[in-house]
Amino acid sequence: MRKTIVSVKKESIILLRDIEGILLIFLMPLLLVVIIALLQHRTFQSINESKIPIVVANFDNDSLGHAFTYGIKSSAMFEVTEITTNDKDVLEKARKDVATGKYQIGILIPEGATQIIKNRAIGLIQKQLPITISSTISDSTQTVIQLFFDPITKSSFRNLVKATLTEFAAKTESKIILRAYSKVIDAMTNQSSDIEYPNESIIAFNEDLVSEYTAGIVPNAVQHNVPAWTLFGMFLICIPIAGSIIKERNDGCLAKLKTMPVHFSTIIAGKSFVFVIICMLQAVFIILVGLYLMPVLGLPKLQIYGNWGALFVVSLACSLAATGYGILIGSIAATQIQASTFGSISTVILAAIGGVWIPVIVMPNVMRRISEISPMNWGIQGYYDVFLRNASTVEIMPSVLKLITFYVCCALLSMAFRKYNTSN
Amino acid sequence: MASKTVVDVKRLSKTYKGCVEPAVDDLSFKVFDKEIFGLLGPNGAGKTTTISTLCSLLKPSSGIIKIDGLELNHHLNRIKMLIGVISQDIALYDKLTAYENLYYFGSLYGIEKKVLAKRIYKLLDRLGLSKNIHVQVCKFSGGMKRRINLLAGLLHEPKLLLLDEPTVGVDVQTRNVIREYLTELRDHGTTMIYSSHMMEDIQLICDRVAIIDHGRLISESSPGDLIAKYSNCNSLEDVFLELTGTKLRD
Repeated sequence: MRKTIVSVKKESIILLRDIEGILLIFLMPLLLVVIIALLQHRTFQSINESKIPIVVANFDNDSLGHAFTYGIKSSAMFEVTEITTNDKDVLEKARKDVATGKYQIGILIPEGATQIIKNRAIGLIQKQLPITISSTISDSTQTVIQLFFDPITKSSFRNLVKATLTEFAAKTESKIILRAYSKVIDAMTNQSSDIEYPNESIIAFNEDLVSEYTAGIVPNAVQHNVPAWTLFGMFLICIPIAGSIIKERNDGCLAKLKTMPVHFSTIIAGKSFVFVIICMLQAVFIILVGLYLMPVLGLPKLQIYGNWGALFVVSLACSLAATGYGILIGSIAATQIQASTFGSISTVILAAIGGVWIPVIVMPNVMRRISEISPMNWGIQGYYDVFLRNASTVEIMPSVLKLITFYVCCALLSMAFRKYNTSN
Repeated sequence: MASKTVVDVKRLSKTYKGCVEPAVDDLSFKVFDKEIFGLLGPNGAGKTTTISTLCSLLKPSSGIIKIDGLELNHHLNRIKMLIGVISQDIALYDKLTAYENLYYFGSLYGIEKKVLAKRIYKLLDRLGLSKNIHVQVCKFSGGMKRRINLLAGLLHEPKLLLLDEPTVGVDVQTRNVIREYLTELRDHGTTMIYSSHMMEDIQLICDRVAIIDHGRLISESSPGDLIAKYSNCNSLEDVFLELTGTKLRD
C-alpha cells in the first residue's frame, strides 16, 4: 500500500509542477464546450426563430382567400408577402422568386375558389332538403390551389406545409357549409340566427415528452455538450498520461523500477489515481460551467435531474476509462510523437462515433451500431441517464460496468505488453 | 581474494528477437564477495545485455544466473532486494527534487520512513549534494545528476551493485569522487559488477576484469595480471586493444 501511496505522491508532484499542462487540461474542454454549445444553440435558435418566407397570390377575394391568408399570417411559421393584383408579370416574377429561393413557397388561390365551395355546399343541401336556393352555380367542382416550392425544399417540409394548408382549407370549407345550412334552417323556420363557426378546435392536443426522457426535459445544446465535451476532454488526457509513461521509459525510470521490488500494477495504480482525480475535477469544472457560465452567455442552464451519487459514479467510470486508454497508448507507443498523434486522432474518432459531435440519436442506423463500440458513447449514455432520465445509480450500471471493464482491459493489455517487451 | 561466490553465471546466452547473432554467447563467470568485477568490451560486445539479464530487465535465452546462491528465475523478488542497479541512463524524475527522487525510490524497497530520510541526508552529504537536497533535478549539472543516480541504487544498502557506465559524461572530479565512493563501499562489504569503457576507472578500482567481445568471454583476471600477461602491453587499454583489435565497432 505504501508503494502505491508514494507512487501517487510522486505523480501528483510531477503533475502539479507542470502548471501549463494543468491549465491546458482544464481550459481546452472549457473552450470546446462553450464554443460548440454557443454554435449549436445559435443554429437551433435561428432555425426556430426565423420564419419561412412565402408569397401568397390571393385572387379569391372571398372567405377562403381571406381565411387562408389570415391563417397563414397568424401562423408563427411563415413570413407572408401577399399579391392581390392578377397580373401575369407579377405572377411570373413571384414564380421566379420561388425558383431562386427568395421565397420557399408560393401559393396561388384562384379566383372564385370560395364560390366553388359554396356551390358544393348548396348542391349538398338541395339534394337533402326540398328547397331551392338561388345561387350562381358554376360547373367547377374542385378548387385547385397551386403551390410552388423552392427546389431545395425537403419533401418532409413540403408535406408539412401541404398539411397545414389543407387544414386551413378544410376549416374554411366547414365554415362555408355550416353557414349555408344555417341560412337554409333560418329560411325554413323564419328565424334569423347568426351562428359563428368557432375558431378553436374542438380537439386539443396535450404534448408530453414521455419518450425516454424525464417529462419536460429535452436534450438541448447545453444538456448534450456539457457531458459530451467533458468526456472528450477526459479522453484527451490520454496524451499527457501516455507522455508521462514514455518520458519515464525514455529516461530509464521504468527500467530502473523494473529492477526494484515493485509491480507494474502499482505504477499503473499511482498514475490512474492521480489522473482519475484530474478527470473528475475536469468534470466538476465543466458541470459548474454548465450551471453558472452558460446562462451568463445566453445559453440554457444545465439541468441535472438525476441524483448526485449517480453523477459521481458515472464520472468516475468515465475517468477510469479515459485514464486506462492513456496508459495503454503510453505502453504501446514508442515515441511522444506517436503517442500524441495516435492519442489525439483516436480520441477524435472515438468522439465522432461515440456521439460527441452529433448525438447518436440523429445518426444513421449503421453509425448507431458502430457507436456502441466507443467508450465515449457509453459515457454519454451514462450522463444522459443521469441528466435527462433521472436514472438511479443501479440504472446507470450497464454504462458504468462497460467503462470499468474498458479500464481493466487497458491496464491488463499494458502489463502484457510490458511483459512481452521483457521476454524479447 | 574473497571466497564466497555472490554471482554465478553459467553458459548465459541472449539472442534478441529478430537477430541471428547472439548478443551474449555462452558466457560464464563468477563474482566473489566484496570484490569489484569489471566488465570490459567494445561497443556491442554484450556488456549491457549481460548487466540487463543479471538485473532481470531481460530474460536470458539460455543459461543459469545465481545471485547469492538464489536462482534468478525462481527468486526474483528476493534477488531484487539484494541488488542495486545503476544504469548508464540518468533514471531520475527531473521535476522532483533530489530528496523526492531518492525518497520515492527508497520507499519502493520498503525502507522505513525515518531510516530512509536519515540515509538520504547521509548519502547526499557524502557525495557533496547536501546543499541541493531540495532542488529539482532538472536544475542539476550532469555530474550532480550522475551522483544522484548512483545514490538511488544504494538506498537499500544492496549486497550486489550492478553498475553500467556510471561515470559516463562526467568531469574528472566527479569521476574521482564516484571511484572513491565505490572503493569505500567495496571495503564495507558491497560486491560490484562494473561495466565501463573507462579503462582508467577499471584499472584503478576493479579487483578482477573480464574482457568480452561478440558476447563471449575472451579473458578474465586481475588488471595487474592481465597487463603482466602481455609483455608488449603497459596498460589495460593496451591489453584491451591487443585482445579485441583496433577495428572500429558499430
